[in-house]
Amino acid sequence: MEPAGLFESSMRFFSDQELCYADILTPQEVVARIQIAVLNFLRILNSSSPAISNLPLIDRRSSNSRVSQGILTDDSWIFLSHSFCTRSLMRPNASKAFVRVWKLMEMCSQILIQDKRVTQRELFYKLLCDSPAYFSTQLHVNRTIQDVVALLQCSRYSLGIMASSRGLVAGRLLLQEPEQEVVDCTACGSSGYPISGDLDLLKMLTLKTDARYIIVIEKHAIFQRLADDRVFNHIPSILITAKGYPDLATRYFLHKIGKTFPHLPMFGLVDWNPAGLAILCTFKYGSIGMGLEAYRYACNVKWLGVRGDDLQLIPQESLVPLKPRDLQIAKSLMSSKILQENYRQELTLMVERGQKAELEALYHNGFDYLEKYIVKKIIQFSYI
Amino acid sequence: MRFELEVVVHGFIYGSAGVSFSILICNHGVCFSSRSLPTLQLISSAIRRCICSERLCRLSVLLQRSPASDPPLVRISISDTGHGSCIQEFQDLKCPVEGILAETWDGIVYVRTTKIADISDTEISCYQLNLKENVATRKPMWLPSNIKHDVKFSGTEVCLSVSESVDVLLAEINCFFHQILILKVPNIAMEVVADGQDTSGSRNDAVFLENLFSGSSFTASTLDRLKLGFEDYVLGHGSSSTCNSCFPNRDELKSGGGMVCEDKHKLTKLVVEAAVVISEISNPTKNCFGAGCSDTKVLFFKDFVPCTISEAFLKALTGIDWKRHGLTLECAINQRRHALLKWEKTPLSFHIHIVVHYYQKLVANATPLVQQTRLDKKLISKAVQLALEDFKNKHAGFLLSVDNLKISRFAPDLAKAIAGLVLYSNDMDFKRECLAILGLQPHQSEGEVVEETIKKKIISVIEKNDQRPQGIKEVACLLFRAGRQKLQDLDNECYMDDFDPMDL
Repeated sequence: MEPAGLFESSMRFFSDQELCYADILTPQEVVARIQIAVLNFLRILNSSSPAISNLPLIDRRSSNSRVSQGILTDDSWIFLSHSFCTRSLMRPNASKAFVRVWKLMEMCSQILIQDKRVTQRELFYKLLCDSPAYFSTQLHVNRTIQDVVALLQCSRYSLGIMASSRGLVAGRLLLQEPEQEVVDCTACGSSGYPISGDLDLLKMLTLKTDARYIIVIEKHAIFQRLADDRVFNHIPSILITAKGYPDLATRYFLHKIGKTFPHLPMFGLVDWNPAGLAILCTFKYGSIGMGLEAYRYACNVKWLGVRGDDLQLIPQESLVPLKPRDLQIAKSLMSSKILQENYRQELTLMVERGQKAELEALYHNGFDYLEKYIVKKIIQFSYI
Repeated sequence: MRFELEVVVHGFIYGSAGVSFSILICNHGVCFSSRSLPTLQLISSAIRRCICSERLCRLSVLLQRSPASDPPLVRISISDTGHGSCIQEFQDLKCPVEGILAETWDGIVYVRTTKIADISDTEISCYQLNLKENVATRKPMWLPSNIKHDVKFSGTEVCLSVSESVDVLLAEINCFFHQILILKVPNIAMEVVADGQDTSGSRNDAVFLENLFSGSSFTASTLDRLKLGFEDYVLGHGSSSTCNSCFPNRDELKSGGGMVCEDKHKLTKLVVEAAVVISEISNPTKNCFGAGCSDTKVLFFKDFVPCTISEAFLKALTGIDWKRHGLTLECAINQRRHALLKWEKTPLSFHIHIVVHYYQKLVANATPLVQQTRLDKKLISKAVQLALEDFKNKHAGFLLSVDNLKISRFAPDLAKAIAGLVLYSNDMDFKRECLAILGLQPHQSEGEVVEETIKKKIISVIEKNDQRPQGIKEVACLLFRAGRQKLQDLDNECYMDDFDPMDL
């Protein structure tokens, strides 16, 4: 191996030193960190050289993202390093965001002292009533939550905030909450079993399976079709979907299944477009936005379909032009450090053709074709 | 009075100090008309001669009616005991004589003067000049000179006769002198006397000007005198007595001053001084400025006399970074005798008054010719900026920059959040520690004391930062982990992307 390559591969041993992560803390520990932030602010405000101190947050931009590549495996995931940036009151365009962080910390402090848990949506309504000038949209709340995670370096869940989950699971899986009935996910019908947003609860679930595969599905409609057709009995599998962009709870759950049943390969079924690939990559590598927490939940999901060499199975009429938003996502994906070469080639093909295709296009070959497609792909090892 | 004037001319008395004066109220809204322009120009020259002499001087303006003449004339005599004058001063005097002035004045001036800086010379030169003639072709007509009769003095008397109402002339001259008072020139005693008969009988009006002969006037710098004089001017809206309706309390008036200078030549140094006076509006509906009017008048002096506003001066004013001082300029208007600044986001809760004085300081004993001082816009802008900065340094919380005003509006909410974090806590040690840092006692944790204390401190920091022209001091330290740290600015816009599903 040439020296440069040797250097890079040896640095893999040390990537964990760069790793910056959000701790999973008890409510008392989080409250203690909030107290440190308050004391620091007041001390500097009342010092001999008074100032309004800035808030140091872990930088959540791509410039601070790093890639961890497995030494003995192909697993790669994204994490954030120890680079900080600041939120400041003293910049007029950023003052509001600064005050938002303090207001949210105040709210979280109250929640934790009362030993409660709230969802992001509940928190939004509380803040909307309390401070409508600062929190007028859910986005304000979600972004401020990430600021507080980056400031206190503790997980969102540790702050007492639950994200509601959009995830569903169906198939050959038995779940059991402590002291509850066993749930058979083959019997949940086409709607599947909803994945809880409570990570503590998910952590305590007992899982049993006789599946051979795990299939991660982008869209709800496809999940429903496969669950309805009870594909998981014909192909012994667990079906899982986040109904779009994956939320943390669904990723956590998938990761738990992967850890519990490490021999089960994971396959991704997404549309052939930049957004579908983005969703697959988020399951696979994690994300920068939630980089302090979600690095833990990356799973080795392989891309089953739809891919470029499946286009022959799809009628020309099903191929639609890429929109500007698709190109924006493609550009963002292309610029990421972690995207593997074969994914990059697929993306290039999409952009060069200027076209995309949905999974539903496969129905041209019959409503039961999707199951046959999946079987054929698995048998032929046609996944990347 | 005439006798007194004779004494001044023929038997100059050094140290004519110690005479006390008072002033009639003049109409401060009067604009100087073209009728009085030559008179004011000649008074300006007299003032310069007195300043250049650097000793105590007297400046007298005498208006003598002669109603018997047809048409009725007023003889104006302007005499000073400053440097003598040289003929060039009047030969080069540009005096536009057109319009009404052409009809009311024949253009002739009679000059009697001693030699410049030679008080021992025995002669008083006399000549007349026709200022209606072109500068290039203007030639004096020499008259028989007078002898000094062994008395050592210097001075000049200039006389002219105009066909004009004494009252009109008097009003304009008073207004002019009132503005001169802003400068509080310490070495000139000024008087204006109206004398003579009119159709209603004899009338003898004496109009005196304020005496400034106190120790502090001499030791004070020109800038300090400018500030003080301008404060008095503002308090009286240009008259001698304070307007109690607008200013029930003199302490409501605050001022700041700034000065820049530049060594232009060997003999002279260019100096620009600016003073800013701010008066809080105690009664928005009942004041002389008019309800809702926040416009600012800017007076301009050049070489110790009031000067008309030029485009260059307006540009200097518009070139100032007003936003640094919480103001947004809508426009600057030339109103000849002053510039008018109109602000956006009015009405303001205060009135701003500004004066600028631009002059050449003679470093050697040079001749007091009319200075061809070209306006340096940058120097004017800088002087006014320095005056505003000086004001802010002395009076915290005033004229916060637009940015800092914006930031200060967040102070109450921030204070409330942090106070909430302190007071809601069930950790008594933490609470006690926070109160101790704030300098509060445990019993003061009730009510809004904590919130108010934090708010005041935050605002105080913002105000102090505002006084710091070099920029804000930023502080941030890692809270939980030691180790490598790179603190960069967080641009909030980074997170404003509406669609970023792929965060890789």
